[in-house]
Amino acid sequence: MNKTSLFFSRLIQQRTLALMCLPFVIWAFVFKYLPIWGWTMAFQNYKPARSFSEQEWAGLKHFRILFEDSTFYRVLRNTLVMSSLQLVLGFVTAITLALLLNELKNIIFKRVVQTVSYLPHFISWVVASSIVLTVLSPDGVINLLLMKLHLLDKPELWMGKGNYFWGILAGTQVWKDVGWNTIIYLAAITSIDPAQYEAAEIDGASRFQRILNITLPGLKPVIIILLIMNLGNILESGFEPQYLLGNGMNLEYSENLDIFVLKYGLGMGSFSLGTAAGIFKTVVSFIFLFSANHIAKRMGESRLF
Amino acid sequence: MFKSKILTAGLALVLAATLTGCGNGSHSSGSAANGSAAAGSGDTSAVTYKYFSFGGPKKQVLGSETTIGKELQKQTGVDWNIEYLVGDGDTKAGVMIASGDYPDIIDSSGQMAKLMDAGAFIPLDDLIEKYGPNIKRVYGPYYEKFRQKDGKLYFFPYGANIGYLSEPNFQTGFYIQRSVLKEFNYPKIKTLDEYFDLIKKYKEKHPQVDGKDTIGFATFAGEQGSFYTLQNPAMHLAGSPNDGSTIVDMKTHEAKLVAGSEYQKRWIGKLNEANAEGLVDPESFTMNRDQYLAKLTSGRVLGYFSYSWQVGDATNNLKKAGNDDKRYVALPIVFDKEIKDQYIDPPGFVNNYGIGITVKAKDPVRIIKYFDNLLKEENQILVQWGIKDQSYAVDENGRYTYANDEQRQIHEDPEKSMKFGFDYFNYSWPRYGNSSVLQDGNAYGPGSQPEVATFGYTDGDKQLLAAYGVKTFSELFSNPDERPWFPAWSIALEQGSPEQMFITKADDLQRNHLPSMILDTPANFSKNWDDYMNQLNKLDKKTYEDFITKKVQDRVAGKW
Repeated sequence: MNKTSLFFSRLIQQRTLALMCLPFVIWAFVFKYLPIWGWTMAFQNYKPARSFSEQEWAGLKHFRILFEDSTFYRVLRNTLVMSSLQLVLGFVTAITLALLLNELKNIIFKRVVQTVSYLPHFISWVVASSIVLTVLSPDGVINLLLMKLHLLDKPELWMGKGNYFWGILAGTQVWKDVGWNTIIYLAAITSIDPAQYEAAEIDGASRFQRILNITLPGLKPVIIILLIMNLGNILESGFEPQYLLGNGMNLEYSENLDIFVLKYGLGMGSFSLGTAAGIFKTVVSFIFLFSANHIAKRMGESRLF
Repeated sequence: MFKSKILTAGLALVLAATLTGCGNGSHSSGSAANGSAAAGSGDTSAVTYKYFSFGGPKKQVLGSETTIGKELQKQTGVDWNIEYLVGDGDTKAGVMIASGDYPDIIDSSGQMAKLMDAGAFIPLDDLIEKYGPNIKRVYGPYYEKFRQKDGKLYFFPYGANIGYLSEPNFQTGFYIQRSVLKEFNYPKIKTLDEYFDLIKKYKEKHPQVDGKDTIGFATFAGEQGSFYTLQNPAMHLAGSPNDGSTIVDMKTHEAKLVAGSEYQKRWIGKLNEANAEGLVDPESFTMNRDQYLAKLTSGRVLGYFSYSWQVGDATNNLKKAGNDDKRYVALPIVFDKEIKDQYIDPPGFVNNYGIGITVKAKDPVRIIKYFDNLLKEENQILVQWGIKDQSYAVDENGRYTYANDEQRQIHEDPEKSMKFGFDYFNYSWPRYGNSSVLQDGNAYGPGSQPEVATFGYTDGDKQLLAAYGVKTFSELFSNPDERPWFPAWSIALEQGSPEQMFITKADDLQRNHLPSMILDTPANFSKNWDDYMNQLNKLDKKTYEDFITKKVQDRVAGKW
């Protein structure tokens, strides 16, 4: 049997599965691949409401504007730092919390902690950022506490110091999403064979040793897959929290690529510039994703594709 | 063999997609043409069109759910599905333009340049000529001011004044808590120094309010779109009305950038000084709107700068709370005694905002007829005053007024006014300008009718006004001088032009530098200022100033 007929006999065998996939393949094609056509905008002086043939071609002009603008590098730096922070902290905190929760024997307490930690995920960023602004305001809880403890002698304007911004943002994101991110690890942990734990216990492994030698290796495939996927989003540092928490005083640190695109692209009606920035983002993400996957493959670990 | 089949199938698919794509395009233009062809009859069958507004957010509503909308529907058969912007206007406009999915009519607010650029609106000249006698009457004298480059009219701005009457309760400028004025027996203050001195004296006497520290002065420069609250006072203090980012010379009509001017230096310098004395609330530069309004209603703030429409909610809530001492009054503060304040806008014409009929409108003729009907004087009274004896009364001299509190509340209580429809119909439609006068001599809107203005005064209001020897709040301010170009902020910048690039960058620079300059110690001020000026001078300021100057001079010459 040659390759094609093998493929088709298998396809017919698994036709139900294939049919179930079909809508999603179409969806991905329509919403993820067709829009790539819009990339042509980056090479034109795009004006809406004109047909494609009437557009004026501009070559690499918009990329040049982008790379010659000093703001762009600042914005790129902010994006990279913010998303790396989010990536590292997101992983570390979620895995730690999952391990800790897994060790809890009191079911009620465990449920309460889990619920409380994932609730913030469901509030919108508008509300969440309002909470953060209030807590950090000069007469907010944090300042009050630090003053009572004599760590500060006068209230600090947290949102007004650019160099605090990354920390505040990372903290906020962890607070908002740690519980939610934990769920997938907890699910992975339940799939680890309990017999391994029993065997380890009989062999005299301490609790910490069990975490280190059974739970963590059991989580490894999940961690690697998630890491690869998240690396692909390295330039997606988010838009809403930065936009809502940002102000003039922390502008140097809070403005990221998405806000830049909004301001100089959509805000000025320069769709071409916005698209150019978008293409840049995609290319960088693509490189990250493929290198991560390649490294995983080289190390013989589980990988995305 | 098989491969070629796939290829054919794929090609067919692509072809089909292209065809349907084109089909859609031609279909929509076809229906628009049909619409105009079917015109002529006085059709009053029931239809519902879509209205989208980029203006301040309000609850989405069906026009006929309000008293006014119902009345207008009776006359024309047209109902509106009225929707407001939620979230960011730039994004929404971008998406709307990119998809070409327009509602029937759009209130552009700040998105006009983008929408015009995208060709979202249809030209109205022929329609007005055929179906718009009232439109011609109201907008006719202003045509030249909002004609577009191609010589056609595409939208209706909201400020076509018929006659002129100023607002008796004008409230914009440097607000001060009334208890401060009362404490010192209503002193007459005019300069910025006097203003801050008074606040300082009061704060020393009353360091705390309800157990919390008194705040000397606050402003609203934290949110992305509100930074002008910190930029504009420099212009007002120098005796200029709100001309956007420039001050226009009265004689030469030259526009000079406020950013980096001596005026700005003086204003920011004063704030820096006041901050060192603990009078400025540092949160002014970080808080969002909710926090700002909450602070103003807390009674802790002694002074703030804002435009009346920025703080309407806080003002209404304070009035509702009933403690007159905790309320505020706006004063026309300037730099020096000799300067004549110009807080009240001179009669002007805002020509870059407006409402237009989009290329996707199903029946432009019926819409233009609806607009024309709306501009009949009786309907203009309807959208401003409401229905006689229900929301206003006419006294024996023919003057419009409120007969009782119930009538006043229909206008002032936010919920009742929404239900009646004032919120939805009194602005952002083709209309008379705010300062217009009706044919019988009454003010166009209740806000400008002296009888109405004094109707709602509390004892505190009366006491305060008596102390200053005036009858209405606007008498505290000077009359506006004539400025034929006013307002310069309505000069449209071309999308993506060097001027627009400059002002975006200059605004970012100011957002970043001015607050930290204010909060730093006064010893560093001149160093910080020089640093800021260095960066500002790197930007192409001249192109911007020349552009605005040229436009101002054109306007003075009658070319809008």
